Amino acid sequence: MALGKFLVKRLLQGVFVVWGVVTVMFTLRAVSPGDPANLIVGEAADPHLREQVREQYGLNEPIHVQYADYLQGIAVGDFGYSFQSGRQVEAMVIERVPATLELAVAATIIAILIAVPLGVISASRRNEPADYGATLFSLLGISTPNFWLGLMLILLLAVQIGLFPTGRRPVGLVEALTALVTTGYATGLVTWLKHIILPAITLGTYFTALITRLTRSGMLDELGKPYVDATEAKGLPAALIRYKHVLRNTMIPIVTVLGLQLGTLIGGAVITETVFSWPGLGDRLIQALNARDWPLMQGIIVFIGISFVLINIVVDALYASLDPRVIDE
Amino acid sequence: MEREANGRPTRRSFLITTGAASVVAVSGCLGGEGPGDDEFVITLSQFPDTVDPIDHITGDYFDVFDHVYEPLFDIQPGEAPEPRVVEDWEHADGAVELSLRDDVQFHDGQDLTAEDVAFTLERQIDPEVGPASSQVAGLGSIEGAEAVDDSTVRFEYSGAAALAEYEFGNYARAMSREWTDEQESAESGEIVGNSADVFNGTGPYEVVDFTPDTEIVLEPFDDYWGDEPPFDRLVFNADEESSGRVAALETGESDLTINVLPEDVQTVQNAEDAEVRTVTSFRNIFCPMKNEAEPFDSQAFRQAMNYAVDNEGIIDDVLSGFGEPMSQPVPPGVNGYNPDLDPYPHDPDEAASLVEESGYGGAEIELVAPQGRYLNDADVAQTVADQIDQLENVSCDVDVVDFGVVSDANSAGMDDYEIPFFMIGWGVITGDTDYGVSGFFQEGGGVQTFRDEELDQAIEESKGIDDPEERERQLQDVNEMAREKAPWIFLHLQESIYGVRQDVQWEPREDETIWAWEMSQ
Repeated sequence: MALGKFLVKRLLQGVFVVWGVVTVMFTLRAVSPGDPANLIVGEAADPHLREQVREQYGLNEPIHVQYADYLQGIAVGDFGYSFQSGRQVEAMVIERVPATLELAVAATIIAILIAVPLGVISASRRNEPADYGATLFSLLGISTPNFWLGLMLILLLAVQIGLFPTGRRPVGLVEALTALVTTGYATGLVTWLKHIILPAITLGTYFTALITRLTRSGMLDELGKPYVDATEAKGLPAALIRYKHVLRNTMIPIVTVLGLQLGTLIGGAVITETVFSWPGLGDRLIQALNARDWPLMQGIIVFIGISFVLINIVVDALYASLDPRVIDE
Repeated sequence: MEREANGRPTRRSFLITTGAASVVAVSGCLGGEGPGDDEFVITLSQFPDTVDPIDHITGDYFDVFDHVYEPLFDIQPGEAPEPRVVEDWEHADGAVELSLRDDVQFHDGQDLTAEDVAFTLERQIDPEVGPASSQVAGLGSIEGAEAVDDSTVRFEYSGAAALAEYEFGNYARAMSREWTDEQESAESGEIVGNSADVFNGTGPYEVVDFTPDTEIVLEPFDDYWGDEPPFDRLVFNADEESSGRVAALETGESDLTINVLPEDVQTVQNAEDAEVRTVTSFRNIFCPMKNEAEPFDSQAFRQAMNYAVDNEGIIDDVLSGFGEPMSQPVPPGVNGYNPDLDPYPHDPDEAASLVEESGYGGAEIELVAPQGRYLNDADVAQTVADQIDQLENVSCDVDVVDFGVVSDANSAGMDDYEIPFFMIGWGVITGDTDYGVSGFFQEGGGVQTFRDEELDQAIEESKGIDDPEERERQLQDVNEMAREKAPWIFLHLQESIYGVRQDVQWEPREDETIWAWEMSQ
């Protein structure tokens, strides 16, 4: 099978997955209690006004008609209007994407910066105190709940020591960079950095622990291979062998995991964003849930679904180009 | 610093020194940047998700919008409206003519006209003119508005003059007609957008920076007709978590936060420079009993439910003391509140004998209650149900559900009593008993949960009484009658808890309004 055909197949599968997500969300909306019209006009509103709103939002239509309308809308990128704010859902979703991406990318960078050296040290000093320390760290990282870690970081580093703000990012990365370029002042960028550090650590901890373990086991596998002995025999310094030759080979599976985990980070930012009032998709999802704002809720979840599918396809494509055998599997 | 013989620092001492210096430098950069003396930061629990000031009735939204779109009147809880942008007003034949000040300007430089005020009110009450506004619920007796001349606007109403005053006094603000027409979204009829330009009121502050969902920054409006407001910069942001709001106060990122939960009160008290301030709010919590479903069709049974519940105990144990027991449908401070009424005492014996008297001994009932909507709501409901269940001749379960279920039961009206007994809250935001009773107890009221001709008549009568004192007496009678007929289990008024920096001179208000011009530092 050619690469193109393989990708088309993957894409079709992806469309099917997204359709599944949309349908599950729509079904949940249909079976969940509560009249959305109350949300729009308030509980004490005039019954005529309520009826008018039902008409306006198509809530009076039979459920299959609503479903068909919704699918048709999504196909052309129209996710409807938020019950609460009356704004277009797609606009409300898109404006929250940068903050979530900033957080996901920052968490990934922190994870790589900490996890890779830690994994290398851990593998090079197997069964020594440094290895035990790194293993303990990854065990703790994997088992610490996000929200607890976030709250503890706020309590310790923001409230007690006063090193960082508690949350509520006032400026985004793009605005901060624009300000830096146009005015030459880095104040915005510093503010942004101060605000992102704690949430990025919170979101990245699980990830850091995971990559530490992956790096360690990958390094151990590689270190046992003959080419390592050969380079050692040639008299290359140990650090050069580990970081240049062995690590490079270990990175292939790590990069795959990084790609796949980015999707998880986007979806998993919900709790971290709530704890730090970070204006991303997760924070908006919680607001939508609290307000029973179904169109918005659906829009965000479908968006996260689409991101997952796309990232998976990109990873698959990379894989396929690296190792053509997967195409035939 | 250690030095080598030639006077240069050793490598080790150099590293230690520069390392320490960079730590200091970095922590200096990263240190909490507290607001300056001239900046005041208010942290809400919900950031307005709309920029259209007539779109919602959520208190947090008004806290922001009132500074930009100033109210036409100054309203103090329990008192008649005081003029503000309006200089004077006169009632005649089911209408009121308001004379506006002639020196009021919008932030974009236009003068305020009667046409603008009339347009704003029409936009609220007429869905053909503006977006579906939930504020219409508080403007029930107002029928229309028109400009008589440049500075006189005429509101028509169907009820008593005093009722109309409470309604428009609470809701009337002005938007520029011309500006609104330009800004409105063609689809929803709402003002939408995400820049500072989508705000244009006549208030003492104008918006200088707006980051949707995050922050809105206000600065004094130079051409404001009234006194200069107290802060050079006023910033609103929001955090949905009480712990987050409290942390912001502790670190000095915020000067005032609303909705502190009882469990966080101690944290605020322990914080340097911060303190807790509380006020009994207008938001009362109660359990309607639809009286066309058994066993709630018996007055004795409904009264028994009131005797069975230990309101004081619930306030002490479940709300850590942050509440006031209720004796009637509306809270103190509201026009028509009857000060002579006492809450039902906790008397299980009386309750049990009233149940017997009602003929419903052995009844099995279920209380449906929301979670996360009101202060510790599910715990309150659980306790209420337990206390009723402890009566020998009634068994009571509790069903904790999504708020939507409760809200639907409430707005479904009298003819739908699938859920006849539930817990809900209501804030009498107009400051007049009418808003607290007509919806619930009148035929065709938006949220009717009780059908009783005598009570309905008494409320109807109050709407037509023009003499304010006589009307107040009539409303007091309505409240007394309601206590006797026990359409609800009267529970409590929530306490509003604020965390405030100690040097801020400000007392919280019963209506939960936060106005910067009532503060000083």
